[in-house]
Amino acid sequence: MKMTESMIRDFVQTSKSVPEIGDLLTMTGFEIEEILEVDGELVLDVNIMANRGDGASVLGLAREILAKDREAQPTALYCSLEGGLVLGDEQVADVASQANVTVETDDCTRYACRVFENLTNGESPGWIQDRLKKVGQRPISLLVDLTNYVMLETGQPTHAFDLDKLGSQIVVRQARPGEKLTTLDGTEHELNPQQMMICDGNRPIAAAGVMGGQDTEVSESTTRCLLESAHFDHQSVRRTRKQLGLQTDASYRFERYVDPQGVVRALNRFAQLLKDATGNEPVPGVVDVYPAPPTRQAVRVRTDRCCRLLGMTVTADEIEKYLKDLGNKVVRNGDEFQVTPPTWRIDLVREDDFIEEVGRVHGYEKIPEELPIGSTPVGGVHGADAFYDRVREELLKCGLDQAVSHSMRDLHPLDRKSDRVKVRNPHSPELAYMRNSLLPCLAETLLRNGGKDGHVFETGRVFDAGREFVQLGILAQGALDEVFWQKGSRESADFFSLKGIVQRVMASARVHAQIQTPTDIDPRFHPTRQAVIADFAVLGQIHPDVAEASNLPADTVVAEIDLSRAYEFVEDRVSSRSLFRNPPSRRDIAIVVSKSVPYADIEQQIAGACGDVLERQWLFDVYEGQGIEPGFHSLAIALQFRKAGNFTDEEANQVRDAAVKALESLGAKLR
Amino acid sequence: MEQIRELERIVEEALNRASSTVQLRELELKYLGKSGELTGLMRGIGQLPPEEKPKFGAAVNEAKARLQELLDEKELQLKSGEQAAQFESERIDVTMPGKAPRAGIEHVLQRTINKVKRVMGSMGFVYYESPELEHFRYNFDALNYPPDHPAMDAQDTFYITDDTLLRTQCTAFQGRIFEEVKPPFRFFTVGRTFRNEAVDRTHGHTFHQIDAFMVDEGISLAHLKGTLRAFAREMFGDDAKVRFRPDFFPFVEPGVDYAISTQKLYGGKWVELGGAGLVHPNILERYGIDTERYSGFAFGLGVDRIPMMAYGIDDLRYFLDNDRRFLEQFV
Repeated sequence: MKMTESMIRDFVQTSKSVPEIGDLLTMTGFEIEEILEVDGELVLDVNIMANRGDGASVLGLAREILAKDREAQPTALYCSLEGGLVLGDEQVADVASQANVTVETDDCTRYACRVFENLTNGESPGWIQDRLKKVGQRPISLLVDLTNYVMLETGQPTHAFDLDKLGSQIVVRQARPGEKLTTLDGTEHELNPQQMMICDGNRPIAAAGVMGGQDTEVSESTTRCLLESAHFDHQSVRRTRKQLGLQTDASYRFERYVDPQGVVRALNRFAQLLKDATGNEPVPGVVDVYPAPPTRQAVRVRTDRCCRLLGMTVTADEIEKYLKDLGNKVVRNGDEFQVTPPTWRIDLVREDDFIEEVGRVHGYEKIPEELPIGSTPVGGVHGADAFYDRVREELLKCGLDQAVSHSMRDLHPLDRKSDRVKVRNPHSPELAYMRNSLLPCLAETLLRNGGKDGHVFETGRVFDAGREFVQLGILAQGALDEVFWQKGSRESADFFSLKGIVQRVMASARVHAQIQTPTDIDPRFHPTRQAVIADFAVLGQIHPDVAEASNLPADTVVAEIDLSRAYEFVEDRVSSRSLFRNPPSRRDIAIVVSKSVPYADIEQQIAGACGDVLERQWLFDVYEGQGIEPGFHSLAIALQFRKAGNFTDEEANQVRDAAVKALESLGAKLR
Repeated sequence: MEQIRELERIVEEALNRASSTVQLRELELKYLGKSGELTGLMRGIGQLPPEEKPKFGAAVNEAKARLQELLDEKELQLKSGEQAAQFESERIDVTMPGKAPRAGIEHVLQRTINKVKRVMGSMGFVYYESPELEHFRYNFDALNYPPDHPAMDAQDTFYITDDTLLRTQCTAFQGRIFEEVKPPFRFFTVGRTFRNEAVDRTHGHTFHQIDAFMVDEGISLAHLKGTLRAFAREMFGDDAKVRFRPDFFPFVEPGVDYAISTQKLYGGKWVELGGAGLVHPNILERYGIDTERYSGFAFGLGVDRIPMMAYGIDDLRYFLDNDRRFLEQFV
């Protein structure tokens, strides 16, 4: 809402400058978006809170200034408008013959109008045009400009109909199926019964509270005008304007609630301004259909609760003054009050609403700073969330960069096969799906950073129909190390470097599950270079077709881990064991075995055969080719033994021989 | 005796001529070692008359000691020259690039979130993560939004179905907690939120929020202010101050907008951070909490803005682009 300096000063007498008034409004809750200078005058642009429709008027903001600024004084204009601006002819019945109003819907609380005759709808007075322009409105004609100006002043939207274009009566009702209305902007709308219309007996002539119709619009030739001022239900107006796809200054105000008691005041202010401008008097009388004026309940407000919630001391006298200054009716009983809010404030319903009013006027800057005491739960991150943190930490230690990318995206060859979640009203077609895997994002991250030599991970929420969970994605391609001028090869990522990272991360996060050969092949992966962990992870080299489709190098390796599920495999089994001081004894064996025998089986056989004395075993060489039968390879495995007391050579040999013997069951022979 | 002196002279000369420690080792072996010539003279002692024996032995030992001393001196001399030459030959250019072990780059948002978790955790707030794909009722109804209220206009929503959506605010976690936990409690969350807004430097359809709330006996706006001040000091600098301004959010009453000021950010100008207030009594009542006994506060703010302000990042879009050149600046 914009208003010029002269408009504020019409309502409030204060020595404060415009920026000072702006600061004051900001501190009452009406934040100043900006103060502009337009044609030599300062204009305030005020941000109106969604529950404060009363603030969308100079009158309403003036009230706030007067309540907050002890030195400010109301002007005569303010006092007369706040007093309802009675012209004296309201009860005269003359007008009834020209305006026959029926209200048939509960969504219209009040409908009033005045009639003006012998008009010349020329230009509005220069000062009104000037002010409208400064707040960004285009002057149109006397009648239209006056309705706009009255709305700025009082917050009450009014609408001028050309009386000669209207039928014999005004009916406020819901639209009927099949009815149509062409609004002022020239758009024809198909109406439905959820929308409230002003009708002239036969047809809709205006969308109530939103926009008038083209057929009954005032024009240069208008000589008789019916001026409408009404109170429409805020939800009904919001619904209608959304359905019609319109947004007007009137609907903006109605949606945020307009004071039903100000309906006739706006008609009278219009009449007053018209008379000032042209000398033209209205047809005496006001049609006012107002079957059930809303009643407001008094609310109990306690001084002690007020102080307790605000965290500062405010006296009962101060509370009484603040609430009265804001237009509340206050009945005091010791330190308690019965407070009835003014008709323009539907947001004041509960005791705490009034406490906010007191705090706002008293000044939030007076609130001291305290830290809460009392119950102190153990704060911080626990459970699965701590597990996710642990996983991230370990990945960083492994040298992987963290990516954070969008949840809404397009389809991608690296997506998982699952029931997808689709956004019904996407930002753009490329953002229509919720990600079900982090791998597409990681692929794009690699491409954004040169398309090679990238080691990245992301943890984040991914979506299947009916399930949202935290996933970890890892993608590695090329060398982890940067180019270095000394000799030494930069090792490229492959399945085993990825497996090593996954194992280390899972181990450090205490996940107990094995990396295994899959029983079902994941089509996104190279069919013979993929592995799984239980039902929660898949890792491997990407399928060459997928690599090609997503512009990735063919040797890219990725892992996709359902961390929410992996957390179910977490168990803290760490326990300390006593150490033997004796030196270890080492034996190396070289065996020739069919390549179809999984190494995991060999490891297991060795472990079983050697028993407790086997401290470590590790594979240190693999050879195939000359001297080895095709389909077989030679594995060199180191065995390290230790026990209490030294191993004799003979003892060590015995344990080694047991291992070799056990390996025979797998068809392995010593080389 | 003559023999001794003669040998002594020869050795002394040889020592003087020696030009390397290797030669010295050879001389030592040849003359002074166990089977050296000087030691060899001792073997001739048996043929001497008994009265000369002690004298001869003493003279040999004396000569040996003197020569050893000479040798040690000479060695010291030669060694320093030789080492100097060796060091020169081993010279490296220390200005050439070093080789650092590769450490992963933590995303700047993650670093911010980690700090928030530490600070909030230390004030007794428990981290609670809630879904991004949320029910309408948690995102709006449970937060005291009247049906179809203009307050929702600020939150253009991505819908999945009629009653599920991408949460527009992390505050949606409140209802889930109220359903599970009875007061007193303190919780916070950090997460991703979505709004269907036009994208530019300072607006995105996806951003991140911190949301916290607590309910206990006697909680007031002063506790909110104190907590925000402590939070701001940890996050932004020891001199951070907090200012409240009235504002409207359906889930708080009174509602405020809070700003902070610290010399580190824009020279102490007030910077609006987010919304806050006392938990709306309608919400407490909805979950059967006695509003005479309990009250609570809630606050929220944007995660993305924290590094934007701290590091002068001028475009929100960098955050989810994962350009390494951007991310490595903040390590």
